[in-house]
Amino acid sequence: MGWLSGAIAVLAKDVQLERRSRYALNTLLLFAVSSLLIVAFAIGGAPLSTGLRSVILWIIILFSAIAGLSHAFVSEEERGTILLLQLNATASAVFVGKLLFNLGLSLLMNTVVAVMFAVVLGFGEANVPALAAILLLGAIGLSGATTLISAIIARTPNKGPLFAVLSFPILVPLLVSVVGGTTKALEGGGIADVFAELSTLVGYAGMVITASVLLFDYLWRD
Amino acid sequence: MKAWSGFVKPLIVVWVTGVIVAGFLVPVPRIPILEHTARNLYFHVPLWFALMAAFLLSGFYSARVLANGRIEDDIRASQAALVGIAFGIMGIVTGMVWARFTWYVGTSKWWNNDPKQVMAAVQLMIYASYFVLRNSFDEPARRARVSAVYNLFAASTVPFLLYVLPRQLESLHPGGEGNPAFDEVTDPAMRLIFYPAVIGMISIFWWIYSQRVRIVLVEEALEDDG
Repeated sequence: MGWLSGAIAVLAKDVQLERRSRYALNTLLLFAVSSLLIVAFAIGGAPLSTGLRSVILWIIILFSAIAGLSHAFVSEEERGTILLLQLNATASAVFVGKLLFNLGLSLLMNTVVAVMFAVVLGFGEANVPALAAILLLGAIGLSGATTLISAIIARTPNKGPLFAVLSFPILVPLLVSVVGGTTKALEGGGIADVFAELSTLVGYAGMVITASVLLFDYLWRD
Repeated sequence: MKAWSGFVKPLIVVWVTGVIVAGFLVPVPRIPILEHTARNLYFHVPLWFALMAAFLLSGFYSARVLANGRIEDDIRASQAALVGIAFGIMGIVTGMVWARFTWYVGTSKWWNNDPKQVMAAVQLMIYASYFVLRNSFDEPARRARVSAVYNLFAASTVPFLLYVLPRQLESLHPGGEGNPAFDEVTDPAMRLIFYPAVIGMISIFWWIYSQRVRIVLVEEALEDDG
């Protein structure tokens, strides 16, 4: 099997499994929506500054991602299907397939959270293209950084809570950039105004994905 | 190794003692706001150089673990990180105290999200997570490889903390926006103590680190026997 068809096959397999169980998707979306509602109820009618809005938006996205994106490799370990994957596809093809699946999940999550946020808390005078660009690049960076962590915790004996502990320090540069960019976008700044943040996010995503592909080999060959 | 290490270690003791005494006693130029706290340059900044040395050493040995899978390299990588944590905490504390009584005097602030503070805190978080990850394994070979992967993966995000964040957050550190760079504010006379202090702090780091490695190697050997 070629590299690209291998990656697509892994992605298609995960999408198929997800369509049957909807486990990851339901966890992710339900966590995101309920934490958003809890925040909205807790805030009540208090006025929110643009800076505070973008912090709340990204904290919700970050915690939902931690809750929902850890399944990628843990599920293979739990089902005992790792050996089968190792036999049938190269390491990088498996990684890229899983990365694309996680990317799809985070894009969906970011869209749902942003729409819900707009309805419940409101974005005010936000510049929509700039906000959409940050949400898109944020999803790429988020899935890029968490997919390798998911592969790491799948190798540990007790999988659960480690995911958050290992992910947070790695996500700090991403968080600072997306929160800064979102604040500017919420104040009405266009693509040109958030260009510095966008290029940081492109660089961050490129860096973590390159490092992941290089390092994943060592986790896979066991 | 044995022949010269017996000579090097007393030299480090004399060297660092000299640096500390000179750091407290040699006159410093009286700069407004900084005044005598400028002496912290001899202690706070070299602590960061030592943390950077720990970071490079730990990353280097983690890469070697992936290349050859030797347990000794894993011990070296983890002990460099462990001693690095100690130096990082001292660096943060000396920096907080310094900032509290110069930049933030009258504001009662201890922490201001300065990019260098964020970077230091994140680096310590990474190493703390690294040890949590390590402790979850029973099998040494797997522990060595997986934690080396995490160490290098985390290291790949450090350039963002070093070069990108400082352009997005305001900093009061030298070289930040509107602040003079290190070269312009530092009196040439102070460099005569500052550079030896850097060498001294890195030597102390190396000393503690090499002792830690030897202790862990002995412990492992004892476990294997018993």
